[in-house]
Amino acid sequence: MKNNSNLLNQWRAFWAITWYSLRAQTRNMATFFFGFLFPVVFISIFGLIGNSATQVNIGVPNNTDINNPIITTLKKISIVKLTFAKKSYLDKQISLGKIDAQLVVERSTNLANYKVMVLTGNANIQNEQIVRTIVTEVVDKTNLALSGVSNNLPIDLTFMTTSSRQQRYIDFALPGMIGFSLLSTAIFGTVFGLIFLKKTLVIKRMFATPMHPLIFLTAQGTSRLIIVLIQTVLILLIGVFVFKFYLPNGLITFLELILLSIFGLIAFLGFGYFMAGLTNDENAANPMINLVTLPQFLLSGTFFPISSLPNWLTPIANNLPLSYFNTAIRNITTNAEPFSSTFPYLLGLFIWSAVMYILAAKTFKWE
Amino acid sequence: MSDINTNIIEVDKLTKSFADFQAVKGISFSVKRGEVFGILGPNGAGKTTTLETMETLQKPTSGKITIDGLDTLSHQEQVKKIIGVQLQSAGFYPELTLIDLLNLFASLYGVKVSPTEILKQVDLLDKAKSYPVRLSGGQRQRFSIALTLINTPKIIFLDEPTTGLDPQARIHLWEMIEKINKRGVTIVLTTHYMEEAQKLCQRVAIMDSGKIVALDTPDNLIKQLLKKGFKKKIEVKQADLEDVFIDLTGRNLREE
Repeated sequence: MKNNSNLLNQWRAFWAITWYSLRAQTRNMATFFFGFLFPVVFISIFGLIGNSATQVNIGVPNNTDINNPIITTLKKISIVKLTFAKKSYLDKQISLGKIDAQLVVERSTNLANYKVMVLTGNANIQNEQIVRTIVTEVVDKTNLALSGVSNNLPIDLTFMTTSSRQQRYIDFALPGMIGFSLLSTAIFGTVFGLIFLKKTLVIKRMFATPMHPLIFLTAQGTSRLIIVLIQTVLILLIGVFVFKFYLPNGLITFLELILLSIFGLIAFLGFGYFMAGLTNDENAANPMINLVTLPQFLLSGTFFPISSLPNWLTPIANNLPLSYFNTAIRNITTNAEPFSSTFPYLLGLFIWSAVMYILAAKTFKWE
Repeated sequence: MSDINTNIIEVDKLTKSFADFQAVKGISFSVKRGEVFGILGPNGAGKTTTLETMETLQKPTSGKITIDGLDTLSHQEQVKKIIGVQLQSAGFYPELTLIDLLNLFASLYGVKVSPTEILKQVDLLDKAKSYPVRLSGGQRQRFSIALTLINTPKIIFLDEPTTGLDPQARIHLWEMIEKINKRGVTIVLTTHYMEEAQKLCQRVAIMDSGKIVALDTPDNLIKQLLKKGFKKKIEVKQADLEDVFIDLTGRNLREE
């Protein structure tokens, strides 16, 4: 009987700390900036990077007569951007590589024919080729049309398009962003949060109540878990609805991502507790946190793939905790693989976190 | 056990050592039910350590503490339920209002309280929705005392409750402590203001470098000193500078 009421009281204490730490966090500007604003700004930028289509810039000197079929057709091509300006200005722009070509259209003396001259810069060889191809095609078609032979040509050419998924940067970056915000919240939030509460004796005062010390740590973790879930859902919603982030199995993938985030946070919290327990001093914690987080942000495939790292670095990079998380999450999104494909990575994550929790339990200092 | 003359706290040969020094060196004393008991001493005398071992926040290196018949080592949780603790210069969650904090601590004690009722007792009702950083020094100390009242404790421990307060706030806090004591709550406090001890405490223990060097009522301690032939060098005035200060600035609290 007595034991039961005691358990109930610990349970109440647990929820009270969870609820009030959550409230405290939502009223804290740092949570808002690091947890919500940063990820949203990041994915917005990534979303836009992926969408910039190829474009070629062609300058037209303004002494050119622009009422001719060549210019009119070019104007209708979406990837061509025409700039009308002075010849001297365009000469400078082309030498700086800011426009890809100059196009001059002249009427020949008999007024029936046209003379088209193209001057390309070789700063961007790809764009130079595109300009040549487009202008050639436009001139050929116009020639045929002007000669009156647009029908019944000996060679018939048809283009068809099948729908294929475009691999965009957002599809790569968004999973990394989830990992990034999980690791930030778990480590920055936990370490600075706990050190502050230790330093100001808030924890000590709580220990003067019948609450069990572990209740305090688990409740703190739970409140971060709730914050992180809101973050993940927000990042995913913006990703899916604004930037068309690809979820191979729709809602199921969405739920799998939430599940992975829970595992990820619990694992990363181990690092947070370990570092928060080592010191009482924010200044001492700072280099420690950077030592743990910065290499992971750079090496774990958050912003660019691990495969683009030098060979000697990949074995290390592949086995960082954030790499396990990022690989797992990309397996079920970008690679459209089943959830079971994440198990080896979850195991790696589990081993890392087990080591951290054991270290934390051995070294944690309450004061 | 509820007899007014029994001891509510028994401290027996308490020692507390840290890695490199011994903070408390085998002290024994008892606190009577319903009294205000003061532990006096200069900084570093071992007052806070003594208090924190009684509060179960630190384990004695040796010796035994009994609180309301409960051994503090074997009955930590039960002891915590019947004591109220105010720590020296403790902070609060900066993002929680006074009401939030009272509700949070009520849940930690597993009790239900009316936060407004408690705030009224410490004259902080108008600050119910304020954050702790918005409180003045005196208000903050009163709020710490409000937190000690949540579990309707039998004993309240106050660690230097008036350090850093202006004279008005100090007088106000004394009145509050007396009011709580009148309801039958035993109070153990530390201070290094002799005037405070003389005003509030029925008995005081004077500590110096980890030992109790005297323990009696303030009056008896003074008499003993006089018996030794002690005479104050300057003639006793009918008033002192504090009286002048209070006379000029009034007893009213100066709080925003």
